[in-house]
Amino acid sequence: MVINFNKIYLLFFILISRGGKMKNLFRFFIAITTASFFSLPTIAKPVELHYWHGHTGKLEAIINEIADRWNASQDESVLIPTSKGSYEDILAAFIAAYRAGEHPHMVQVYDAGAAIMVAQVKNGVVYPFEDMAAKYGVNFNKDDYIPGIRNFYADSDGKMIGIPFNSSTCLMYANMDILEAAGVEVPKTYEEFEQIAPKILEAGYTPLLQSHSPWIWTENFFSRHNLLMTDGNNGYDDVPTTTLFADTPEFITHWTKVKEWKEKGWYDYKGRAWGDNQAPFIAGEAAFWLGSAASFSGMKGVVPNFTVNHIPYWDSITGGNEYPTFIGGAANWILSGKSDEEYEALMKLAEFMTSPEQQLFYHNMSGYAAVTYSATDLANEIGFYEASPYHKAVGEQLSLTGSTIPGGYRAGNWPQIREVLYENYPKMLNGEISIEEGMKRMDDGAAKLLAQFAKTL
Amino acid sequence: MKRVQYSSYFTQYFFIAPQLAIILIFLYLPIVQTFTDAFTIQDAFGFGRYFAGFDNFTFVLSDPNYITALKFTLIFIVVITFFSCSIGLLLAVQANNVIHGKSAYKTLLIWPYAIAPAVVGVTANYFFSERLGILYNFFNGLWGFDWYDNIYDAYIYVFIAASWKQISANFIFFLAGLQNIQKSVIEASRIDCKSSFRRFWTITFPLLMPTTFFLIIINITYSFFDTLGIIDTTTIGAPSGETKTLVYKAYIDGFKGLDLGSAGAQSIIMMLIVLVITVFQFRFIEGKIHYN
Repeated sequence: MVINFNKIYLLFFILISRGGKMKNLFRFFIAITTASFFSLPTIAKPVELHYWHGHTGKLEAIINEIADRWNASQDESVLIPTSKGSYEDILAAFIAAYRAGEHPHMVQVYDAGAAIMVAQVKNGVVYPFEDMAAKYGVNFNKDDYIPGIRNFYADSDGKMIGIPFNSSTCLMYANMDILEAAGVEVPKTYEEFEQIAPKILEAGYTPLLQSHSPWIWTENFFSRHNLLMTDGNNGYDDVPTTTLFADTPEFITHWTKVKEWKEKGWYDYKGRAWGDNQAPFIAGEAAFWLGSAASFSGMKGVVPNFTVNHIPYWDSITGGNEYPTFIGGAANWILSGKSDEEYEALMKLAEFMTSPEQQLFYHNMSGYAAVTYSATDLANEIGFYEASPYHKAVGEQLSLTGSTIPGGYRAGNWPQIREVLYENYPKMLNGEISIEEGMKRMDDGAAKLLAQFAKTL
Repeated sequence: MKRVQYSSYFTQYFFIAPQLAIILIFLYLPIVQTFTDAFTIQDAFGFGRYFAGFDNFTFVLSDPNYITALKFTLIFIVVITFFSCSIGLLLAVQANNVIHGKSAYKTLLIWPYAIAPAVVGVTANYFFSERLGILYNFFNGLWGFDWYDNIYDAYIYVFIAASWKQISANFIFFLAGLQNIQKSVIEASRIDCKSSFRRFWTITFPLLMPTTFFLIIINITYSFFDTLGIIDTTTIGAPSGETKTLVYKAYIDGFKGLDLGSAGAQSIIMMLIVLVITVFQFRFIEGKIHYN
């Protein structure tokens, strides 16, 4: 609003103040009260920062808590977080909003959407975090970020585009009561798992379950074993044209094993829904469940005696080496089209959110990784991991070194490629098609979608 | 008699303007938008837009999953329409015969119609969940029902979820149709024939044909377009994409996959399918119906 209400008020006051003395006094009071009411908008208001995210339930409450902390810590800006449902929903919602010019300042976009967001830098939709941090002079040290996290949301030159926020990875949850009953230890490798699975089955429990096969047993199978998933160096060097599922014998071997496990009852597949696969573990019927680091917050206090461990790997593939997994979760992205003043406030907020103290708070509450070394150092300093060993695995697994592949993948249409994977795994597992045939179909489906995406570049 | 005539053209247009605006904005504009999307290739943000001819259509039609979805949708339409109409009719005939507490029956049978498809799906979820589901365990005991793995079991799951809601809609229309049949016709038929079963098929059912025809069209459109929420909250296409309808696939590709070109092309293909079905119905079925 540009209208100056004070001037209107002066006019109003002059108009009504003609008359007797008492009347004048009365009118004066009326004018003053109304004037003060209308002149409210001219008082300096804090900048509103809108943030759209894809968290619900407990995780949403944690984001609201962060917003409350920020709003209480200063009075220049107000953070208004809005949950837009799932990660897929938020992507669709904010793109629609962007096309209508009603987008927020910052949006949370997940791993599979990273290629879309990085590609939008050249169209001016997304402002790179690194540039903005330099422009507004906030405290930002690139080397402080854990490499796996830093590179995942960076462009091919290594410039950080997204602001790492909730970084998870896939981990293995183990029910220690079941392991004790079966008289076995937590396995480090899949070979060890194969050794102990019969004992767990004998003790009357399901040995293994897993949620989200495209993420855990596909994308992260490749990162965990230091293998390339697509051509073009996982899309970091060139726009990828095909996935390498059928061309990777290790991957075929893995799924052949998974199928065997399912037939022997060592592994149980409960459809594609995340929760359906997690439910037997929560109910104490399964020994191991492969899930996300962030699943921890929902299980604490529900499952009596569990540990969080690194995800297993095939010793025969890596030759005894342990490689890091890709990060999961999401990053925050700065959107264009806002005022300088708003960006200044936004970057201060980014500084706050990535500060060691806030990260440690978030790490503790949600189970997501601490994204910087300074946060991990702070955690070590206060003895956080001794007090809560659950939180240790995620940072450890992401900080592993020795990989020769990029720390992520840049492949467009990835949400749909995940659909293709979801459709083929059950067919391979129930024997409708062979593993090789399934791999070929997945490659074909992915190649088509990659070609469709390449047309838009 | 005095002829009423408007003095200017303006007045008429003034009165129909709001209606026209609504039709243009909410009906024709989206259709135009769909056509432009279908024939262009663009990224999710609308950048890099260019005319692509029939590229999007060949992309969609060469996708084996699309053909799977097409087959499933056709089966889905036939099964849902048949079962929800026949059960609705059965209930309507029974409710029409009830003498005491007629309105209580009616009210109770109409209730499910007020429930949104997504809520129906969530409710069905409770019945078919492996851990909590009464129906899951009942069927599992009978033949090892497992919709996570078996295509036909997954079919049963979505068929039950989707037709349940529609039964009540069919019920209320059939009941209205039954009550519209003239008492004299029914009484005359009673004198001529004592078998109530035969009376129904030779007299009552033919008189219900206009209602049936109307309901078949309504049910086809329902199973085609309105079941998206049910699929999304029940099987999500399980076991491996066999229970995705065309609308659900368009939704996944357009909203989750952000491929507007492909989703636009799919919408147009669906439009053509519905057009063909409707023309077929009016041509070949309606001719056999007597409205009076």
